Amino acid sequence: MGDEETLREMAIVGNLSNEQAITAYKTAVLARTLDTKIINAQRQGIIGFHVPAQGQEMIQIATAMLADKEDLIFTYYRDLALYLQRGVPLSLIFDQMLGNSNDFQKGRQMPDHFSFKEFNFSTVQSPVGAHLPLTVGAAYSMRYTKKNGIVITTFGDGATSTSDFHAALTMASVYNLNVLFICENNGWAISLPASKQTKAEIYKKGAAYGIPGKRVDGNDLIGSLSGLQEAFDYVRSGKGPYLVEAVTYRIGPHSTSDDPKKYRVDEITDGSEKDPIKRLENLLLKMGVVDSNFVMTTKAQAKESVDKEMEERMNIPPTDPLSIFDDVYEKPTWIQEEERRDLNVSD
Amino acid sequence: MSQINMVQSLNRSLDRLMAADERVIIMGEDVGRDGGVFRVTDNLLNKYGTERVIDTPLNELAIIGMASGMAMYGLKPIAEIQFQDYIFPAFDQIVNNIAKVRYRTGGRFEVPLIIRTPYGGGVRGGLYHSQSGEAYFAHTAGLIVVTPSNPYDASGLLVSAYKSKDPVIFLEPKRLYRAAKSEVPDEQFEVEIGKAAKLKEGDDVSIITYGSMVPVVMSAVEKNQVNADVIDLRTILPMDITAVLQTAKKTGRVVIVHEAPRTLGVGAEISALIAERAIDSLFAPIVRVTGYDIPFPYSHEEFYIPDEKRIMNAINKVLTY
Repeated sequence: MGDEETLREMAIVGNLSNEQAITAYKTAVLARTLDTKIINAQRQGIIGFHVPAQGQEMIQIATAMLADKEDLIFTYYRDLALYLQRGVPLSLIFDQMLGNSNDFQKGRQMPDHFSFKEFNFSTVQSPVGAHLPLTVGAAYSMRYTKKNGIVITTFGDGATSTSDFHAALTMASVYNLNVLFICENNGWAISLPASKQTKAEIYKKGAAYGIPGKRVDGNDLIGSLSGLQEAFDYVRSGKGPYLVEAVTYRIGPHSTSDDPKKYRVDEITDGSEKDPIKRLENLLLKMGVVDSNFVMTTKAQAKESVDKEMEERMNIPPTDPLSIFDDVYEKPTWIQEEERRDLNVSD
Repeated sequence: MSQINMVQSLNRSLDRLMAADERVIIMGEDVGRDGGVFRVTDNLLNKYGTERVIDTPLNELAIIGMASGMAMYGLKPIAEIQFQDYIFPAFDQIVNNIAKVRYRTGGRFEVPLIIRTPYGGGVRGGLYHSQSGEAYFAHTAGLIVVTPSNPYDASGLLVSAYKSKDPVIFLEPKRLYRAAKSEVPDEQFEVEIGKAAKLKEGDDVSIITYGSMVPVVMSAVEKNQVNADVIDLRTILPMDITAVLQTAKKTGRVVIVHEAPRTLGVGAEISALIAERAIDSLFAPIVRVTGYDIPFPYSHEEFYIPDEKRIMNAINKVLTY
């Protein structure tokens, strides 16, 4: 989508103010800066692991912009910008990444497996696609208890091959539940390209279940917003589930544990021509919404706040080792109590 | 009080729970119009409607995954898996999701879900309607695993499972569904999770068993006038360690009986617990009487399931050691 086309798209959205566009840009820059910071911290042994989300910022930001407070969101492990745009502070993100004693989850999960309940997010798990059937149950519960809001869920292209995806779409359509499925198709599932993941076009996969689908440009804020708007409207009006395929691009590796040079050697670029942040930046500059000074300041401020926040959160002590026996059950059984006594942490 | 069988007892208990709490939702294959293939949910659809008694598509992963989402967000689903043999597509949801939600969220989410499923042989069900898979679940911290052996416990354990804030795998020995009637109160009552029942006091030998094997054990010891201490575990996870050790120390001779295969079965855990904590009290090796380590056969299933003769052989072996 060229810039002129983008401007035409903007007219379709109509309701994107300059302030919103600037906020989105700032969030995207912050997310990118945070991502880079975490990758470096992983290399230094400060943070154990990371699933970079670089290149996928705009579809995530657009999703958060269109979501209401009462909407319940089931994310996957690569959604940093989505949390930031919905208001999750850097402090809580670092607490989880570091697994310190301030972490809501008490250091029980690998980095990027968040559960920001206060911001109406659910809980992230590693098995790909396994959260999808839960979204349907949550939507059933919301309808049954007459709560407002819809359920939104994000997942990668690999997840669309799982049995869980099939299970979730089956149930969502049979019970006509208000679930918005957003596939962030970044082209890769670790080393497997999307072309080998499925012969189908992902947004058409819903058709077999009677679920409408749509492909949107996930690398473009305005393309994402205008594409998602129709899907949100459809689900909010109670018509049932909807499947969005947001085409985006995984700039980095799957995680800090793999080297994409091994499997993406012919294809990999620096991502700059598809970089969603660059695109928004260029548009804002071209339209005169911001100037180059603003761009520089935004980047510098993002770096400053990310650096400062991590340093602060690193001072928070770790959790008590004996707490590993908590929260297995509502109350520990005799088995956890006995094993807790067995663990001598002073040795 | 009513003289009723296990199916009737479960049905009445479900009915009472649904009447008292509109968060209770029943879901599963054929649980509505058909009332369940064993009729445990009979007539509940007529009473509570399609929103609360959900006939689901044929996908166990979807049933359990959806139910866990419902449980995390305010409902009290009771999901039925038609035969325990068919639960495995949902095994990832049970082991990786349901059992770990409380833990992985630092206690901020919980999954108060009951998964009811008939298990065990004796109904000419062959490989895929007969398995006893309790050990698969008992190996997973975060789950509660119970199995009643009579109509009274079935109803009481179901109420306790309903009150539990943790996920409960509720294993129903299908052979006992209509095998016997017993006195069951007409009002709601509980059988505590984690507490075994002493079915018979005796001094010579301890028999530790549960579920479908309980009536076989009782019949064997009564017919042969064995002076046996008989324990019905009722809860497999967390097991009643006090009751297990108490009886082992009391008689010094232990026979464990279950229908599931022997290798790494619940009997192995019981043996290890006794060996670790009460070996000085033992006069004889611990003996297990179990299903064989073969797939559950269609023909000759009566030879697969432990019978009174095999149980008596084991009892005599430890008594004469």
